[in-house]
This record gives sequence, C-alpha cells and structure tokens, in this order.
Amino acid sequence: MDLKTGLVGSGSSVSRELDLVIAGGGPAALAAALYAARYDIDHIVLESYQPGGQAALTAVIENYPGIKSITGGDIVAAMKEQAESWGAVFEMASVLSAEPLKDMIQIKADSSTYMTRNLIIATGAAPAKLGVPGEDKYYGRGVSYCATCDAPFFRNARVLVVGGGDSAVKEALHLSEFVSELVLIHRRDKFRAEPYLAKKLLSCGNCTVLWNTTLKEIKGDESVESAVLNTPEGEKEMKFDGVFMYVGRKPATEPFANLVELNDNGTVRTHNIVHTSRENVFAAGDVTDNDLRQIVTAVSDGARAASAVFDKLQ
Amino acid sequence: MAVKHIKGNEVEGAASATDKLSLIDFSAAWCGPCKMLTPVLEKVSDDLDEKVSFYHLDVDESPDASSKFGIRGVPTMIVFHNGEEIDRMVGFRDRNALQIQLENLADSKLV
Repeated sequence: MDLKTGLVGSGSSVSRELDLVIAGGGPAALAAALYAARYDIDHIVLESYQPGGQAALTAVIENYPGIKSITGGDIVAAMKEQAESWGAVFEMASVLSAEPLKDMIQIKADSSTYMTRNLIIATGAAPAKLGVPGEDKYYGRGVSYCATCDAPFFRNARVLVVGGGDSAVKEALHLSEFVSELVLIHRRDKFRAEPYLAKKLLSCGNCTVLWNTTLKEIKGDESVESAVLNTPEGEKEMKFDGVFMYVGRKPATEPFANLVELNDNGTVRTHNIVHTSRENVFAAGDVTDNDLRQIVTAVSDGARAASAVFDKLQ
Repeated sequence: MAVKHIKGNEVEGAASATDKLSLIDFSAAWCGPCKMLTPVLEKVSDDLDEKVSFYHLDVDESPDASSKFGIRGVPTMIVFHNGEEIDRMVGFRDRNALQIQLENLADSKLV
C-alpha cells in the first residue's frame, strides 16, 4: 500500500483502504455519513443505489419531527448538504460485490475496489412488483411506482392505485389533486396506513376505495386502457389511464448475500437494531428487518451504525 | 462529453445519427429521480463518448415531443439509432446498469 495515498495496486483495479464504507444514498446513509464525518472516521459513501432513496420519491413528508411539511427531494438534499458541510465524502458508484478478506471487507464497486474495516449497508429498497400480466409491458406507459414523478401526466385522467399502506395512501392523496377519478384497491378490509392518512383518503371527493379487491391484469394498446380486478362480487374490468403500484419493497441486498445473513424476504437480519451476523458490518434503514420503515427510523439507524463503528475503532 | 439540452423540434435530428447511438432523457425539473439521474448521465456520457450522444429534453418545455413519444412517466430514456427507437428505459438507473445496457446496445447496432 502507498502510505501517502492509501492506494493499493494500480490502474482500474486500484484499492483504497478505509475505516468505513457506507453503501447507499437515502436518509439512513446520509445520517451515517453525517455522524461518520463528525466522528472524523476515514470513510466514503457509495451512493449509486438511488441517491436520496425512497424518501426522494415522496411528495410530501409531514411526520418528520420539527419539520411541518417538506418534499422528499428537499429533505434528502438538505441532509446531504449538511453531511458534506462536515466533510462527508460521496462517490457515485454501485457496489457489485462485498466479500470478507481476513479482518477486512473487500468491496468491488463499478468505479474502484475498497478494502474497509467496517461497512454500513444502507442500500434501501426499491418498489416491489406485483407480477401481474401487463405490469412490465406498460411500465412507463401508464404503469408507475412513483406518483410524485408521474402524476402530472395523468391530469384529468382515471387512475387505479394498488395497496393499503402509508405509501399507497399518501401517494393516492397526491395523485387525487391531478386526476379526475381515483380508485384505490386493497386486498384487505382496512388500511395499514396511519389513521390520519386513511381518514383523509376516505373523505377525498374524487377517490373510491374498493376493499378485498386485487389486481389480476392490466390491459391496453399503446398505453394502459383498463384493469381486470378480482372483487368480492367477482371479476370486473374497469377503464383506467394509469395504474400506480404500492405493494411493498424489495431490499437491495444482492451484493451482500455472501457477507451477512439475510432473511427470506431479502432484508438484512439484524440484532440490537443495526448489528448484523458479521461483527464489522452494520445495516440501517429500509434494508433491515426492523418493523417501522420511516425517514425518522432510517436516520436513527444511520446514526447508531456510525456510532457503533466509532466505538469499535477506539 | 456533456449532456446537451434540446427542444422538441431538435429530437428528430438528434435521433437520426448513424455513427453513434442517441440517448434522449425525457425529464422534468420537479422530478426527484430525474435530478438523481443527471450526475449519472454526466458520468456515463464521459465513459461512452465514442458510442453514444446524450441529450436532455424537459417535458414541460416540450410537451408535444413528450406526447408524440408516449411519455407517461419521468425520467424516460429513449435510445435511438438511425431515427429508430431501439430501447426505452423508465425510471432511475445506476451508472453500472446504464453503462452495461448502452454498451450492449452499441455492440449490437454499431459496426
């Protein structure tokens, strides 16, 4: 290793030795980066996994303490700016693989290879697909997973929203301001979403909720034209211009499968909130199996994980 | 190479190149993933300068072009060769995924 640069090897396969790599770009990673920078830990944040994370796709955030209302994009931009002001180092790179090597972890990214003493996995989760016919075919042609991004394309249109959690209801409320008619279907007979959001949706003038209803197929020509629903009264085809899906999230843990224990659903198995099956690997935010997945819990995880790394380095 | 901003009336000219692929990023100022994609496109445009020309089109500035290409979500990246649409990617792509996808397309289309 070159003691001046900290670099090992040469050319495109250069390795850099660090105390901490933070993989991810959402609130958990940004909080970890802020704390790591303030603790003066030699670190880098590899943020190519959806910079800003799921939070950046959220239209309005009203449950982050101290901030009455803010867009997802604005809150993650503020978090990144704050972390950078304390010296956090970011690189636009994806982790391709992560393997244990003696007491270090070798992380191969598309830009470089890193040897790190500690890793915080904060790669978040991407929207899960339902897997119904037509979903892939019409993605970007009426099928969407992001109302914040795509609502303006559905002005005065008729749209279907699938899901019953916070994301589905929050995004449905955002969509309802653009569309002429919104139908939300949920496979159960009550929402999982927080009661305040649920009440707001149930009193929305252009919204209808169909309980115990699932999506069977999305049909169309060049773009979405209708959806086939399984309702308690039987199969029903209804006309829609768009279908917005909020049916869960798929954790981005593939590169870490050989490094730490994962649960059957792909989340990182944790104990004591941010600790994993490997002593020098920590996990934070939506990538973990912690039950509450909110910005406020993600930043808490990120801070705890960076603090645990700091303690370990003492 | 940087990403060049174009308007709707410039799409046809940009898409008609035969010596390179043309990627047009249909995006909007209010879209979070579009903002995330911007630095990725800048990086990939540097890496694939010889194979792909990169363009950015604002859907609010050029609504007719967005409508013509059936854009119902942003960001949408359409890849053209010789005036023909050869691929369409919707949503954010990380640098590695985008680069591999474009290199595969370039290998299949450029002699």
